[in-house]
Amino acid sequence: MDLNSINDFLAAAIRMAAPLMLVGIGGVFTERSGIFNIGMEGTMLIGCMVSVYVSLVTGNLWLATLAAMLVGSLIGLIHAFLTVTRRADQIVTGAAINLFALGITNLLNSQLYAGFEYRPRVTMYPIVAPEVLQELPFIGPILFAQPVIVYLAFLLPVLATWILYKTSWGLNIRAVGDHPHAVATAGLSVNKLKYQGVIISGMFAGLGGAALVLADLGLFATGMTAGRGFAVLAALVVGKWNPVLVAAACILFGAADAFQLRAQTAQFAIPYQLFVMLPYLLTIAALAGLVGRTVGPKTVGKPYDPESI
Amino acid sequence: MNYKINKLDSTRLLDIGGLVLSGGRPILAIILAFLVSAVMIIIQGANPLEAYSAMLRGSFGSVAALANTCVRAAPLLLGGLGVALGVKAGLLNVGIEGQIYVGGSAAAAVGIMPIPVAPWLHLVLAVSAGFLGGAIWGLIPAYLKAYRGVSEIVVTLMLNYVGIQLCSLLVHEPSPLAEKGAFFPQSPPILASAQLPILIKGTSLHLGIILGLIAAIILAYVLFYTPFGMRTKMIGQNPEAARYAGVNVKKQTVVALILSCGLGGLAGTGEVLGLKLRLFDYFSGGLGYDAIAVALMANSNPVGVIFSALFFGALRAGAGKMETAVGIKAPIVQVIQALAVLFVIMIGFVEYNRKSKQDKRKEQMPEDTIYGSELNK
Amino acid sequence: MDQSNDLSTLRMVGISKRFPGVLANDNIDFEVKAGQVHGILGENGAGKTTLMKILYGLHQPDSGEIFLNGKKVEIHSPKAAGDLGIGMVHQHFMLIENLTALENVVLGLPTKHPPLLDLEPARNRFNELTKEYDLHLTPSSPVWSLPVGDQQWLEILKLLFRNAKLLILDEPTAVLAPKQAKQLLSTVRRFAQEGRAIIFISHKLEEMKEVVDCVTVLRDGHVVGTVDPKEVQSAQLAQMMVGRDVFLDRRERAPYKDKKEVLVIEHLDCLNDRKLPALRKIDLTVKSGEIVGVAGVDGNGQRELAECITGLRQFTGGTIHINQKPVDGVINDTTLLGYIPEDRHKTGLVLKFTVEENLILKTFEELPYTKRGIIQWHEIRQKADALIKEYDIRTPNSMVPVNHLSGGNQQKVVVARELSNKPALLISSQPTRGLDLGAVESVHNFLLKERNRGAAVLFISTELSEVLTLSDRIIVMFNGEIMGDLNAEKVDVNLIGELMLGHREGLEATP
Repeated sequence: MDLNSINDFLAAAIRMAAPLMLVGIGGVFTERSGIFNIGMEGTMLIGCMVSVYVSLVTGNLWLATLAAMLVGSLIGLIHAFLTVTRRADQIVTGAAINLFALGITNLLNSQLYAGFEYRPRVTMYPIVAPEVLQELPFIGPILFAQPVIVYLAFLLPVLATWILYKTSWGLNIRAVGDHPHAVATAGLSVNKLKYQGVIISGMFAGLGGAALVLADLGLFATGMTAGRGFAVLAALVVGKWNPVLVAAACILFGAADAFQLRAQTAQFAIPYQLFVMLPYLLTIAALAGLVGRTVGPKTVGKPYDPESI
Repeated sequence: MNYKINKLDSTRLLDIGGLVLSGGRPILAIILAFLVSAVMIIIQGANPLEAYSAMLRGSFGSVAALANTCVRAAPLLLGGLGVALGVKAGLLNVGIEGQIYVGGSAAAAVGIMPIPVAPWLHLVLAVSAGFLGGAIWGLIPAYLKAYRGVSEIVVTLMLNYVGIQLCSLLVHEPSPLAEKGAFFPQSPPILASAQLPILIKGTSLHLGIILGLIAAIILAYVLFYTPFGMRTKMIGQNPEAARYAGVNVKKQTVVALILSCGLGGLAGTGEVLGLKLRLFDYFSGGLGYDAIAVALMANSNPVGVIFSALFFGALRAGAGKMETAVGIKAPIVQVIQALAVLFVIMIGFVEYNRKSKQDKRKEQMPEDTIYGSELNK
Repeated sequence: MDQSNDLSTLRMVGISKRFPGVLANDNIDFEVKAGQVHGILGENGAGKTTLMKILYGLHQPDSGEIFLNGKKVEIHSPKAAGDLGIGMVHQHFMLIENLTALENVVLGLPTKHPPLLDLEPARNRFNELTKEYDLHLTPSSPVWSLPVGDQQWLEILKLLFRNAKLLILDEPTAVLAPKQAKQLLSTVRRFAQEGRAIIFISHKLEEMKEVVDCVTVLRDGHVVGTVDPKEVQSAQLAQMMVGRDVFLDRRERAPYKDKKEVLVIEHLDCLNDRKLPALRKIDLTVKSGEIVGVAGVDGNGQRELAECITGLRQFTGGTIHINQKPVDGVINDTTLLGYIPEDRHKTGLVLKFTVEENLILKTFEELPYTKRGIIQWHEIRQKADALIKEYDIRTPNSMVPVNHLSGGNQQKVVVARELSNKPALLISSQPTRGLDLGAVESVHNFLLKERNRGAAVLFISTELSEVLTLSDRIIVMFNGEIMGDLNAEKVDVNLIGELMLGHREGLEATP
């Protein structure tokens, strides 16, 4: 690879990591609260479609972003109702949400662009850095010629870390996934915290979907999330449920993704598929204890029964 | 073999009573799903009755339609049985999708190889390879679950993508399975001797559905009539009691999960050797996830899985007819399917709550958590 | 926030609480005063835990009232209890392992600058308190890295931090080494001097004498009396705890000839689930044709003993032989060992399996139930029907899921399975827990029948009266040791009570 393509690759890596990082933030909160949300994949997909639809109708990309977050939160609320209030199996519930998301987006796909002769690209997130910076050699395109949402994606992990470690609510969220009974005896509402965690994960999955469309592709395509929600689940394990580390894992996975796209076209010695596998193999290795102690929130996946003290 | 099956046993073998009781729940859920979808159809400006009757014709209205239903049901049946076997052993195998790719790849590898044996033997070898591929793939989650205490759920989920990419790797050059100079990444065609025979001429109905039916009956039989089945259900219901009764819980976990994954591999085998006739990139397209829904709708009863797979197969088969007849897009069936699953979850837990109020204690089952299982502490 | 500062008395009046089948608290009156350590003594099931859960807001009483400084209060939740200045250290720690010590302490507390956590003032307070009470806790160490003893201290620190004026300590020394226990006791005294009230639940007589000002003895949900332990004999306290107004008749039995050693345990050591020593150099022999009763308060090693013998728990030292065969794994030879486990729901039965499946849970792979790899259901059904008749299991038929049966009949299923192959050794752990009187009677009959057949029976129960009724010999367990080995024919109940409390002097006094 020459310098130009390296530059291009790094810029793409960061752009492609942004949606993952956003979803990852939500993932941290839901799993810390003790709820496993594989429905983030489907929620993200719906977020993609909603943002395109609202953008086409209103022409306002911020409204589109908000709408995606709102719909995502709503799906999170349904997930929380089923898994927290009804204590349904978290995996099955999430899988059902994914099936629903796939079905409904496939169904509405043809109507999304009804009235258009061709599929227009929607307005994208603006690039806000001054042109002087964007034109800096090498680092300009990587750091400054990025849509604004990328900066948000880099800022949020820091903010999330601050919330988790410096606020009371953050402490409560960190506690509830490990030992809900202790949280209850401390006078806090376990279910409320879990609802909050799941709804936040839905909201960020929606936002991640919007970012995927409005920062990168500008179009909706069926099944366009292509497993990114699952990659985030992997990043949570590799990043040990710490927002900054999870974000770092997402950047790594984004880079692997950007790299495999390039490896597909260029004749590269290592098959690109290996790069796609990488996040998942890393996760299994982490869980198997091959890379240090990986112990997640203790009660993830298990319904909370207040009376089984 | 010299054994008696009296009347009582044969009804219990199929668990007819349980099937009827547990059947009420999914049937109600399906009705609700159709009702909600009818509203969507009305919003889209079509008559839901017309739409559904077109769908029915498309799935059961003719020999070709019925054949289509069975073709679509075959991988769901085999995959659903894989999930069901896992659930019986207290394991949630959400990795059928990956197993479909790995099993399919293994079957294709044997299927494109000109092996100098009788044609039927070539087919048997290819099918066995598919099953073994899935089973060996299953060693990873099985070992990690039994001996390292790692949740099978996360591992099988993660392995889906590894499996998909492995298959992709195999159909791209320079892999020995890739067809040289092909326009698409694909394998050479499966040799005729290794193809699943077509059951009805002029349709694509292949032997896969029969394989699935046989597997369902064998699984039902094994679960009820063999010590292996007994041990499997024991570790699924109460591993502590199983240990107390002398069952080697780890070994049983490994074997049950491997077989569950093997069934997943068989689902992919049917698709490759019977329908696609080559190995392609992304040839499953999510069948493995649907298989989870299939097992859930059947409450993991092997005989119930037959009906539930046929139902899902019929939805897909009828979708095209509905689209041409009333203009409702085919993916509506995916929505119906997902809604049915969501309603089963909701109804299921109403029942759970009622039961648990009656006698709290009895319903408590040991539940594993995803990241904090015993061995990992 | 500190209305709790002025706690001077807390009075519980006429507290009653009924659970299905048991009256856990029956019109209990109870009072603690500031500056006092108030002990509570009682056997398992005497109602201590229920009373404390009511005080801590985890249960609501069916009747009765609670007065704080003479004013009536309602305690609906642990939070309400905390607001009143009542704090409790549970036997199962309420600590979050992945958080630091300091974070555990401040969890749920309001902060000065919401939403900020504002740990600095809390850290200072934490350090002040640890210094004041001479605790070696670092605020920033994660809880998972702390030894169990420190976790106990952290629980107490949580209460101090909330400025609790009434501290409920439920067997606080159970997890502590002797030296740590000593420090805890002196700290408890200090709390009293500071004007706090302490409720101290323990089964150890020595530490009761050392630390409490008065002790209330509970038995079968009643208050037996409140005394100063320094002024009464240990024997008298023991009598209050275990004494029975009507002593059940001892069951008649003929002496068994031809006694052989069946179970031989030598120097057995093992750890409990918390990796702490549960058994310390146990020696025990049980012969054919005798019932050896194991008395003792729950949690003194009885469960671990049963699990070691049956091979379910690995032991760390010593040997166990059953009929000369060493135990080195789970035993499922039903002619050698029958085991009625403590928890029939968790261990003894597969609740969703049918009666017949549960009856052959250990033998289904043997002839004639499995032939050439195929389960022979008609054979199983025949056997099940015979056992249902023999053991009088009340069930419509053998194909009913066992969770549809009553507790007594479920236990009969376990008993039938474990006894039907005439085991040489029978371990029976709390076999009558939660059963009604009729079912208790029939379980007792089965155990005696086994003894008379020539089985060696180890009968573990926290219900002292049934140990007295059934046993030929009685051993008393305390803190992982066997305190005494007594002839049941002429044993003194009060002596057993003393041994249960870890007090050996009575034994030495009687030759």
